Amino acid sequence: MIKSIAHVTVYVLNQDQALDFYKNKLGFEIGDDMTIEGGFRWLTVHPKSQPLPELVLAEPKEGPMFTKDASEKIRSLIEDGAFGVGVFETEDCQKTYDELVAKGVEFTQPPTEQLYGIEAMGKDNSGNWFSLVQQAN
Amino acid sequence: MTTNSQFKRLSASREYIADSYRDPFSVTSIAKNAYMSPFHFSRTFKKVYGETPNEFLIRLRIEKAKKMLITENMSISEICERVGYISVGSFSSLFLRQVGMPPTLYRRTLWALSSEAFRYPSQVIPSCYAYHFLGKSVN
Repeated sequence: MIKSIAHVTVYVLNQDQALDFYKNKLGFEIGDDMTIEGGFRWLTVHPKSQPLPELVLAEPKEGPMFTKDASEKIRSLIEDGAFGVGVFETEDCQKTYDELVAKGVEFTQPPTEQLYGIEAMGKDNSGNWFSLVQQAN
Repeated sequence: MTTNSQFKRLSASREYIADSYRDPFSVTSIAKNAYMSPFHFSRTFKKVYGETPNEFLIRLRIEKAKKMLITENMSISEICERVGYISVGSFSSLFLRQVGMPPTLYRRTLWALSSEAFRYPSQVIPSCYAYHFLGKSVN
């Protein structure tokens, strides 16, 4: 039986800029930031109160995984907002939304009543969308 | 239940611990600054963050030490001091308990595995990432 999810990959355009966003805007903390032999930067972040799963912030650089063409296509899709990080939970959607807006986080939908709670939708600084959800009790 | 103001104070305390991880640690004084008793502070901290303030500090110091052991050419005693410990013996015991091997062996093992000086070997990350991003075979 699979117990839990440990790592989820989020493709970003620039790891330094993504780290700035997730750490200084969303308030996440760094799990690992290591340069591996071969130059690959293993960079993970997570909310302070939840060490796992970690988001692996990875650049879709040309290499064993991506051809130059594939890398460029992925980067273009990220910029176009084709990918999502997922859903972040908060105890107070409006309050967190206000705090993040004040920090310059871009939202495409303000806090809105949904069947499952209150949800706002935003984007990271690469273009990946995410939801901010306050679960209905 | 943790109130909003308590959460803010806890969060500020946690950041303080993280920022001053090299300094001597006193849960009593940090709890006092958060307007809580040491016991209540530690219990609430653990409830919110899953570890006590002391466990958080130890984890942080050991993680910093692990990184320095691989990426810096400093001696074990220098690293011990840099992460806030005075006694190399206590630091080494703590490191062994947390990591499963003493700092010297940790450094020797990882340095031997890496093909580049002061960089981590691919074995420290999940194989699927090593394979896809570095072209390293699983075995």
